[in-house]
Amino acid sequence: MISLAPPLMPVLAAADAAPSPVGTVALSILVVGLLGAVFGIILFVASKKFAVKTDPRVEEVLGALPGANCGACGLAGCPAYAEGVVLKGLAVNLCAPGGAKAAKMIAAVMGVEPGESERRVSVLRCRGSRARAKERMEYRGVADCRAAALVLGGPKACTYGCLGLGTCVEACPFGAIVMGADGLPHVLEARCTACGRCVDACPRHLYVLAPEKRTVHVLCSSRDPGRATRAACEVGCIACKACERACKFDAIHVVDNLAVIDEEKCKNCGACVRACPQAIIGDFRKMRKALAASARSATNAGGEAAAS
Amino acid sequence: MRTFRGGVHPHDHKELAREAAIEPVPLPERLVVSMNQQLGAPAKAVVEPGAEVLRGELLGEAGGFVSAPVHAPTSGRVVDVAPHPHPVAGSAPAVVIEPDGRDAWAEGCDRDSGERLDAVEPGEIVARIREAGVVGMGGATFPTHVKLSPPKDKSIEVVILNGCECEPYLTADHRLMLERTAEVVSGLRLLVKAVGASRGVIGVEANKPDAAQALSGLAAEFGFPVEVLRVKYPQGAEKQLIKALTGREVPSGGLPMDVGCLVQNVGTAVAAHEAVLRARPVTERVCTVTGRGAARPGNYLVRVGMPMAHLLAHAGVRGGVRRLVLGGPMMGLAQWTADVPVLKGTSGVLALMDAPEWKTRACISCGRCVEGCPSYLVPSRLSILAEAGAFSEMIDEANALDCIECGVCTYVCPARRPIVQWIRQAKWEARIRKMKADRVRAEEAKRAQEKESAATA
Amino acid sequence: MDTFIEYFRLFFSVALVSNLVLAKFLGLCPFIGVTKKTSSAVGMGFAVIFVMALASVATFAIYKLVLMPLGLEKALNIVVFILVIASLVQFVEMVVQKVSPPLYRALGIYLPLITTNCAVLGVTQLNLAFRDGSFGAGLLKSAIQGVGGGLGFLLAMILMSGMRERLDTLPLPKAMKGVPIAFVTTACLALAFLGFTGMA
Repeated sequence: MISLAPPLMPVLAAADAAPSPVGTVALSILVVGLLGAVFGIILFVASKKFAVKTDPRVEEVLGALPGANCGACGLAGCPAYAEGVVLKGLAVNLCAPGGAKAAKMIAAVMGVEPGESERRVSVLRCRGSRARAKERMEYRGVADCRAAALVLGGPKACTYGCLGLGTCVEACPFGAIVMGADGLPHVLEARCTACGRCVDACPRHLYVLAPEKRTVHVLCSSRDPGRATRAACEVGCIACKACERACKFDAIHVVDNLAVIDEEKCKNCGACVRACPQAIIGDFRKMRKALAASARSATNAGGEAAAS
Repeated sequence: MRTFRGGVHPHDHKELAREAAIEPVPLPERLVVSMNQQLGAPAKAVVEPGAEVLRGELLGEAGGFVSAPVHAPTSGRVVDVAPHPHPVAGSAPAVVIEPDGRDAWAEGCDRDSGERLDAVEPGEIVARIREAGVVGMGGATFPTHVKLSPPKDKSIEVVILNGCECEPYLTADHRLMLERTAEVVSGLRLLVKAVGASRGVIGVEANKPDAAQALSGLAAEFGFPVEVLRVKYPQGAEKQLIKALTGREVPSGGLPMDVGCLVQNVGTAVAAHEAVLRARPVTERVCTVTGRGAARPGNYLVRVGMPMAHLLAHAGVRGGVRRLVLGGPMMGLAQWTADVPVLKGTSGVLALMDAPEWKTRACISCGRCVEGCPSYLVPSRLSILAEAGAFSEMIDEANALDCIECGVCTYVCPARRPIVQWIRQAKWEARIRKMKADRVRAEEAKRAQEKESAATA
Repeated sequence: MDTFIEYFRLFFSVALVSNLVLAKFLGLCPFIGVTKKTSSAVGMGFAVIFVMALASVATFAIYKLVLMPLGLEKALNIVVFILVIASLVQFVEMVVQKVSPPLYRALGIYLPLITTNCAVLGVTQLNLAFRDGSFGAGLLKSAIQGVGGGLGFLLAMILMSGMRERLDTLPLPKAMKGVPIAFVTTACLALAFLGFTGMA
């Protein structure tokens, strides 16, 4: 049996001889100190042996990110993007929810220029609400747009349009999409971070991420010829080319039965908006002004998007 | 009596059409022959509007190996080649034919050569079946020649004919077995010869004793037993039939050929006989029109491409029908328009007068679906995962890909949960995920290759 | 005398009958914090077994060989034990970070929290019941109690994480999602483990 008592005999004798509190305290400090030193040395040696090289900048970049793990940057989550920036040299402005603020902070950590990052928002390119777009069948089943789209091409007469079952509302991690009473989802631009989850969720690919400074958008995605579109929906593009004729900048053309805006040439003048007989080209300027005004007057401006 | 695990016993409603002998339907004004008639790639149209065609002439060539050609169901003129409503895909390209009333067969078709079965080589059997566009007539429409061409390392030991017709309401196969008994047996002989199997067997459910009787006499001459199986849905499903008749279980993710079996519908056997020994491509099939909404329920011999509305009118389907289902009530698809054509796989049309409403509730873990699932899955778990959007987990951990979509779980669920629809959604999401992954991999390979060529340049 | 059956009874008792988490309610912090996923629960469980076993042996040895002879056992008991456990945990942290960085990230803050985990300290205190016997027997019993306690902890974590992974997919009221329902489930699981008391 091993005992450490023998070497410490003199100390013990001293302790027994004068059982003073000071003695006990001194002994305690000695013992704990010795033990601490022993463990400290063991840990020091271990830390050298098991050293893992981590760049402290990864933690700093991670701190600058919002932590929503939304995947807008294209990577699996905020920690993955932080590693990508520091270790693989990814661009510092890929975080959409973080926006310009995060880009600046990350750029400061990495010692580079922040680079251009303009704000983008999600736009729904369909106006086919329950009142305006015809239903061709009574659909009874899973209340999910992806599931409904698989059933014989979907319950709406227009096979390109919004199904209104709210898969995008569920998908948005920031609560920026709300289902309107008319059966169409509305994007709350103030909350939108352009993370792109809605773009992936919509089975009809109706969402597009557009720079905020763009105010004119074609709000229809139907490629059906004019007569079929008119039969299916009151607010569908009938490919009449009125917009094409009205545009002075050659920025809008009808391709495959649908009006398409050339973003390079479009000056947001709104001439096509006024020319369209179906009122399917939206001018977001008015809506945004109205929202800003009502936000200023401190009322809740959620959910009301009259893009006309 | 032999059977399989799970299953359910719905009331089969077969008394409505069981006694009706097969009856041809007069030709309509237009026939819409869809190019999308089978599983696999759609056919590609080879005729232009204005062309005159004869019955059995090629309208669309196969779109690949796993595909089948489509032939003109009657003689007439091609008036249009354009997308048309399709009862499964929503819309598909189709060749529209205006019949000329002569119903004349093309040159070389419909000959009774008096050729003996023994004289035809196995390779020739498969080739004729392929050229005739024979697909699974039970409704799955899988190209038959593909099933008859297993890879070299898989051999077929037993050919099974499905005479069970387990779906309620449908009686077309029953009538085929009664009225075209010789062709059914001949078809089985051809299939056995084509794959070099050592034996063949016909499975019939116990609710068709007359068919079993009719078959057993003739089948016995060629050494094919007729097994009577317990009446339970889905006995006619491939894997369940194999289990009941041979005791073998097809492994998860596997095919019948993995256990040395080949399963075909009795209707496919008849089509094979017609294709090989009578040089008749697939131009017609027997289709049960039934349900309380049909004044004259029966088993009708219809041409491929016959507009549904025409067939329904002939069967006396009147207004007030709430649901129009193509196929059986368990696996069939409800339609939103009668403007769809009959396909090679349309085994039945149900005109149902009721459309019950129900409210989907949370899973109560009662276990009825687990008891009933013939594929040994846990449908309640699959439905909960689907509701939470965890589609990948359904495929990777809960074996959703093994689901045969028979509908037993949805039928028995007291909480009225649309389980099969959720599973279909998961399978679709898995397909999209795989396509995305393939695309990413292809892009990465291209980038790697470009890097390499830039480095070596 | 100490037969094999005595040791087995000790092992069984600390693993199931007096399960550290479900019967004694020690170590609830990692139990609730790390059981969201089975993979991290298993990793944490093994880390705890390792720390508990080594800590049991090391602390018992130091208690018998250093503290008791010096008469300091009552005064320095907790302090020294914590010192030992903290060092061990630091060591484990380094090893995990090197061997499995994903597990290190997944466990996050809960790995160093094993130090303040009352379950480990609890086991080392329970071991003091063997201080009056021979050193060898006591050391062996401490080791068994440490490993057994750790295995019982691992078992409880695996059960809990399996249930929580299921609970995640269920449509619970928003107020109950996450930790609240986990606690309710822990209570039910503890009730279930009461069934072992007859085997004490």
